[in-house]
Amino acid sequence: MAEGTATRVTRAGESMRGWVLFIAPIVLLLIVFFVVPLVDLLSLSLTEHKPGPRDPNAALTLVNFVKILGDPFYLAMAGNSLLLGLLTVIATLLIGYPVAFYLTRSSGWERTLISVACLLPIFTNLIVGILGWYILLLPFGVFQQLLSALGLVDGPIQWIRSSSALVAVLTYEHLPFAILILASTIQNVPQDKINAARILGASMPRIVWSLMLPLTAPGLIASAILVFSLSVSSYLIPILIAGPRTQVLPISIFSYSSELLNRPMASTLAFILLVMVAACTYSAVLVANRLTRRGSWEMV
Amino acid sequence: MAGLRIFVYVVVLLMLTPTLISLPVALTDTSRIAFPPPGLSLRWFQAVFADGVLLGAAWRSFTLAITASVVAVAISIPCAFAIERAKGRWRTTLETFITGPRMIPQLVLAVALLVYFERLRMGETFLGLVIAHLVVSIPFAFRTVLVSVASVDRRLEWSSAILGAGPATTFRLIVLPQIKTGVIAAFIFTFILSFNNVTMALFLSGIGERTLPVEMFNRMYVGGMTPVIPAVSFLLVVVGVAVFIVLDRTIGVYKYLAGRE
Repeated sequence: MAEGTATRVTRAGESMRGWVLFIAPIVLLLIVFFVVPLVDLLSLSLTEHKPGPRDPNAALTLVNFVKILGDPFYLAMAGNSLLLGLLTVIATLLIGYPVAFYLTRSSGWERTLISVACLLPIFTNLIVGILGWYILLLPFGVFQQLLSALGLVDGPIQWIRSSSALVAVLTYEHLPFAILILASTIQNVPQDKINAARILGASMPRIVWSLMLPLTAPGLIASAILVFSLSVSSYLIPILIAGPRTQVLPISIFSYSSELLNRPMASTLAFILLVMVAACTYSAVLVANRLTRRGSWEMV
Repeated sequence: MAGLRIFVYVVVLLMLTPTLISLPVALTDTSRIAFPPPGLSLRWFQAVFADGVLLGAAWRSFTLAITASVVAVAISIPCAFAIERAKGRWRTTLETFITGPRMIPQLVLAVALLVYFERLRMGETFLGLVIAHLVVSIPFAFRTVLVSVASVDRRLEWSSAILGAGPATTFRLIVLPQIKTGVIAAFIFTFILSFNNVTMALFLSGIGERTLPVEMFNRMYVGGMTPVIPAVSFLLVVVGVAVFIVLDRTIGVYKYLAGRE
């Protein structure tokens, strides 16, 4: 009896040890190279910038936060980033939803064609897409020639540096992520329900508004959160399409960290960006939960 | 429905144009970026394969992505088993923790690692770059592996154990065949995401150690862009489309890329 208990205890101990060994590599790696660096980022944002190597015993101060939050220039910059994120989310959902809907109802090569076109930005790097838009939008570029040929514009147009071009390219680059999430949610709406609504005489707008949207709300919110977070923190698209003078947080972060070598300011701005994204994500989840009056769904 | 179809095809056209426009631009016989090209020639495609810096960058990106994706998937497999078979609160907590790097904007993580690696005297090293790619790859590799681990039929494992097979034999003969497709998919998708990642390398790679996307960015931004960049770009598109179609027709792109059940 006593022996049996001992064996069982040893076995339980062994399997517990095995369990820990199984998860240890990932957990350790993420603690050392994910959690600690983020804490380190916060601590660096609480020190004042001095030229030369980093002083490990530097006094903690809020000077960077005071400087940024008290400066209308940076507040306007944060506002710009926020607006850019919101516009991109709206554009992405308006375009992505119908495409995702159509995609779930298509099959064979038509489905492959739409998938390739709409998911290609994931399968190539960001620069490929940006370069394409750059060529299209250049003064005397393809779009302008097209519009001139149609007699719609006359003379060169300054498209490449405009904010509408910026939103367009952000939408292009993040549309695949929205379509992936939306398609997997729309897939789960039973065709029976749509058929039933149609038989009962509901119009197409009515079906979309009172049936599809509530049933796919989780996917809409999840893709909105993802696209917002990706757009707000995008550095390459603003700098290449809108130019280095664009007032958005990522450009300022890169400039402080890699050009001006003022790491404390870069850390502070990065931390503010992180808080902004987290706050927007959290409020989106709150609003969504209230709207659907359900428990929390799994996010992203 | 007809209106919807027209809308979808307009979107398809708008999505394809930026990727395909690089072909005519790269086929030019001058060194200017212009459309339509004044004359046609293949010289810029030849120039890609004569450009040592570009080829070096491509090779660096390749080894980086291979290392990051192999390690990410390898450490995800045991972890996915442990978590899939754990009960209660631990499971949710660990899952959230492991998928954590996905919730943080990569730009923020890149700045954090830049500062952190400098403190560890690992700034601008290849190892640092591998670790950075590993951190952003893990959530994706883990979620993808977890999907296939969750679908393993445990009754087959029990039968195997009852018939006297040890854990190693059971894993090799019973479990592995069931998760094989999922693991390969996880590896391929993680590789693609890692190969195409620009943000981490932009902050973390040294001047002589640029990855392919960063080298492309640099020539576009700093200047000195010749049609060799559209040529590389088009080659990447061709590879991307080929990989996509093969994956879509064999294992299914949506199932694994969405990363959600």
